Amino acid sequence: METFIATGLIGVSLGSQYALLALGFTLIFGILGVVNFAHGGFYVMGGYIAYYCSVVLGLPYALALVIASASTAAVGWLLENLILERVIDDHQATLMVTLGFNLIIATAVLVIFGAESPEFTFPIDGVWRSGGIYIPYANMVVLGVCLVAIALVYWLVYRSNVGRAMRAMAEDRAVASALGMRTKVLFPFAFALATGLCGMTGALVTPILALSPHVGDPVLAFSFLTVILGGLGSVTGATVAAFIVGLVDSYAAVYLGGSKGALTLFVLVLIILVILPQGLFGREVRRS
Amino acid sequence: MTQHFGRVICGGLFASAAMAGASSACELKIGVPAVLSGPAAQWGIALRGAVDFVAKETMEEGRLKIDGTDCAVSFVAIDSKYTAEGAASATNALAAEGIKVIVGPVGSPEVTGMKPVATRNGMVAMVNSFAKDSIGPKWPNMFHIGPGPSGWAGPIIDEGLKRFKFDTVAIVAPNDQGGTDIASVNAQIFKAKGVTPTEEYYQRGTTNFGPIVTRLLSANPGAIDLASTPAGDAGIIVKQLRQAGFEGPVFRLGGPGFEEIARVAGGVEVLKDFLWYEPVYRDENTKALDEKYKKLMGEERPENADFYRWTFAARMMVKAANAAGTVDDADKIAEAMRNLPVEDENIGKGHWIGQKFFGINQEMSYPFAIGVVQDGKVQPPIHAPAVAEG
Repeated sequence: METFIATGLIGVSLGSQYALLALGFTLIFGILGVVNFAHGGFYVMGGYIAYYCSVVLGLPYALALVIASASTAAVGWLLENLILERVIDDHQATLMVTLGFNLIIATAVLVIFGAESPEFTFPIDGVWRSGGIYIPYANMVVLGVCLVAIALVYWLVYRSNVGRAMRAMAEDRAVASALGMRTKVLFPFAFALATGLCGMTGALVTPILALSPHVGDPVLAFSFLTVILGGLGSVTGATVAAFIVGLVDSYAAVYLGGSKGALTLFVLVLIILVILPQGLFGREVRRS
Repeated sequence: MTQHFGRVICGGLFASAAMAGASSACELKIGVPAVLSGPAAQWGIALRGAVDFVAKETMEEGRLKIDGTDCAVSFVAIDSKYTAEGAASATNALAAEGIKVIVGPVGSPEVTGMKPVATRNGMVAMVNSFAKDSIGPKWPNMFHIGPGPSGWAGPIIDEGLKRFKFDTVAIVAPNDQGGTDIASVNAQIFKAKGVTPTEEYYQRGTTNFGPIVTRLLSANPGAIDLASTPAGDAGIIVKQLRQAGFEGPVFRLGGPGFEEIARVAGGVEVLKDFLWYEPVYRDENTKALDEKYKKLMGEERPENADFYRWTFAARMMVKAANAAGTVDDADKIAEAMRNLPVEDENIGKGHWIGQKFFGINQEMSYPFAIGVVQDGKVQPPIHAPAVAEG
């Protein structure tokens, strides 16, 4: 029973990490209609900025986290404004731009910091323990940040005027512009918000796991999987799917093993998508 | 017009002469398929650094002479990505450049992918890999830079049993050839030592090992072996094992990478009780090699201890080319290699083995070391003699 509960806690912890990653990914698709293949790159960038600020410069970790989030948001804002905005209606071009930007980030990190993992640990290293059940305090912090981020994003997208404007533009950009909504302000804002979230996740999660130039690759794969399962563009879907993926990943790995567990997750997602091709909350998928 | 025509002819003759001169210049081009990205990159960086160093050392000291002429040594490194297809693709690219001499790659899947391509293109290679078929009679020009766990896991387990009390072990490794070949050999050796093993495999690309660790610990093992898990992954596993409350010793009966494992885990004190395979015993001679590297390359040597093995391997390849009197006849270089003694000025003397395990006597064996961390403190390494056949 203890193993069952411990596995559930690990699943929730995994789910919170996936949710933080999936939120940004689904926001960008839902509002801009762009599949951001640089998502893993922003995760890596956030991790390395936090590492540089906290370990190399010796700044407090909390400040490093804020700098990492702000920097990745700023880079995202620039990317959208300077490049993506020019090709925003061409899906192939946006795909190539984000994919290329991902390679640029990975190569830049490799050149600047090298291929080996640096020592980057979370400032809180204790573990809460009760019998065979345990949760590292760092994971609790990630879970707390995740819940706050979900609440803020949900409020921003569904309860604020900015969110209403962004959703209106996602529905029909031309009509929304004609009604006075400023796409040139709101689109880069949405992109910056999403990349900032991704950078924050990198800064939070890489000291718990590991930091290296290519840790973003599996992140992109899992974000994509989660967002497709939840329904591309749906904030609610991404959140629910992230926790489903986390729990299935955890229980399958513990009870079936690492190899079969990974297979189980993908088979389950495949079955769900066969039954619900639009994903779990696909009604909110962006109309093309 | 006649004058112009004459200039063209003269120019053509001059260019032909220059090209003929260039093609007759002696140059040993070494192909290096090396993993340069992902969690196993540290191994590939050590390989690339060693070949780069040996190339410069050879030219600086005039170590390669063909027909009395000093030969240049250059190298081309391509990222083989720690996959069979990555290594096959890298070897094809090297073959397209006319390269006949290969040093690398590192991992079992890579060696599996490169061997047929190298054989088809008439290359000679010094490979790593702990796979059960790293070399063999089917690939007569493939040489092995050192024994796998079948050779050195036994003495390390003995050392572990001397220091810690355990009678069960859980072995964790990736679920491809780079993991399964090593983990299964380790399991046999643990069993022979009276320790009951269980094997657990994970999908390469896993970033959070929390569930795997829970599964490992549900069997209540006395010890854990990380086998050939890449250093980056191994560091996370140890960190999460200790967070989960595991108190037993952790073995690393796979490729070297202690420094990176310790960094990712969060420090030597997190490793607590940890034993690993060090490919060479470090003494004054290896320190001299470190200093020579720094002097020649202007920087510290690559961190991973596999640097020493690859330096040994690349020097052997240069010696073989020198003895064969050719830089591009792979068969002659291979033949010369078979007749060379296994000896390096910094790493020491050894011998050829492999007939019994691989069916071909083309594996270098030389002294190695056992690394130990006990109670969170690094202990002096233990010298172990070169593995004998069998």
